[in-house]
Amino acid sequence: MSELALLATRHSHRKRDTFVSLLLVSPNGFVPWLLPLTVLVLWQASASYGALPPSILPAPSDVAKAAWRLTISGELLINAAISFKRAFSGLIVGGTLAFALGLSNGLSRLSERSTDTTIQMVRNIPNLALIPLVIVWFGIGEEAKLFLVSFGVFFPIYINTFHGIRTVDPQLVEMARSYGFKGFELFRRVILPGALPSILVGLRYALGIMWLTLIVAETIAAQSGLGYMAMSAREFMQTDVVVLAILIYALLGKVADGSVRVIERLSLSWHPAYRKGARL
Amino acid sequence: MSVAARQQDGTAHGASVTLHGITRSFGETSVLEGVDLEIKPGEFVAIIGQSGSGKSTLLRIIAGLDNAYKGQLAIDASKGHKTVARIMYQEPRLLPWASVIENVAFGLGPQATRHQAFAHARSALEAVGLGDRGGEWPDVLSGGQKQRVALARALVSKPDLLVLDEPLGALDALTRIGMQSLLERVWFEQGFTAILVTHDVTEALTLADRVVLIENGRIALDLPIPFARPRRRGSVQFGELEEHLLTALLKSKSQTEEYVI
Repeated sequence: MSELALLATRHSHRKRDTFVSLLLVSPNGFVPWLLPLTVLVLWQASASYGALPPSILPAPSDVAKAAWRLTISGELLINAAISFKRAFSGLIVGGTLAFALGLSNGLSRLSERSTDTTIQMVRNIPNLALIPLVIVWFGIGEEAKLFLVSFGVFFPIYINTFHGIRTVDPQLVEMARSYGFKGFELFRRVILPGALPSILVGLRYALGIMWLTLIVAETIAAQSGLGYMAMSAREFMQTDVVVLAILIYALLGKVADGSVRVIERLSLSWHPAYRKGARL
Repeated sequence: MSVAARQQDGTAHGASVTLHGITRSFGETSVLEGVDLEIKPGEFVAIIGQSGSGKSTLLRIIAGLDNAYKGQLAIDASKGHKTVARIMYQEPRLLPWASVIENVAFGLGPQATRHQAFAHARSALEAVGLGDRGGEWPDVLSGGQKQRVALARALVSKPDLLVLDEPLGALDALTRIGMQSLLERVWFEQGFTAILVTHDVTEALTLADRVVLIENGRIALDLPIPFARPRRRGSVQFGELEEHLLTALLKSKSQTEEYVI
């Protein structure tokens, strides 16, 4: 079993935390949810008393009804599943490439010299600026979305992996070498755990970019997915569906971010800043 | 039992260290200029000197961390097996993501199996008085406790030679005295050869069989310390020797350049 997995299981056994309970229950109880709830109540009230016309912003209850309607018809679930699959395939492809290149550039000067400058140049291109070109290349098929999401998540993961590896405490590396650790064992026991906090920061950034890119891409060039659902609803002035789509984005973003926090808490439990109850 | 007695009846099992004409320079600056030193198996040698005198460089060469020197260095274990040399640094250098016992087990190197390593690590931790702290993260320990874990990590592989680079330099006075007697005890029990770099004359006198003063890259003084162990700091002879060494150290300071601010 890998060191990380071992840490994770040990931690979860001790604290009896499950992934889901950590994800849903904030360490601060219900306080973080107070503000969104207040906004929701005010919103419903102003819509019910006619202060807010439904063509501008439908009442939360109408949004809930739309959610129910689309769930029954299966439309919502299918579109959400398609978007989810697109997002994560892009994350896996772009993330794997970025992680591999970050490792190789962090560990080898030659690799860094030959690729880092190029990556830094390409990094400054906003990935959404590529949409016209991507449509020409791939049409509006799955490849287009996969390419855009992979491209977007690549840079934060690359940069943070690279930075994480480069900033591993050289004193620890020297110590490990003096105890006979080298090659893969040195990497597994010292370099990777030392770089992990930074790598996970990169992952969190990447998740934000992942949803952003996908939604824009689906809005412009797609025939399914949440972005497409919102765009076609706009054509029929179904503002309730548009608002529903936006809320689902918010929820998905929160779930993605929360998942990384849980991974951080499980795999970085040695780190004082990530311990349960620590102030971040 | 003294080291000499141990050597006579053959129970000393540390490594012997022989340095001949060791020279090391960094660019234009010459740090070591032909150091000759012979250390017997099981001996405890303290190296003192001004900062910048080359004592840490010498230590890094002996520990195998610096190979860009000229001259001859021979480290031989008495029983003919491969010499195990370990270094203890000024900082504990514990892996923050590994528990205390995992850190100690780390000292057995990458080949050790987990089960075996943990059994050895547990007894090494007990030897430094931290047997009950194995499951904790290093960052909850105090500075002195961390250094004791680092000592356990160095000792777990039963070294023939332990090289200590001011490992007690950052500790407070009381913790330091406790660590000194711990160090003396494990050295006595395990019989390894110990080389300690320190800038603390009292510490050198408390622990070492011999004190070597390095000055401008050369050995300026090589003084056997005849006192019986455990040593009492208060005695008259101890004080006289301390005075003698301090004078020698300060003399070497007056020869070095003054700093202009």
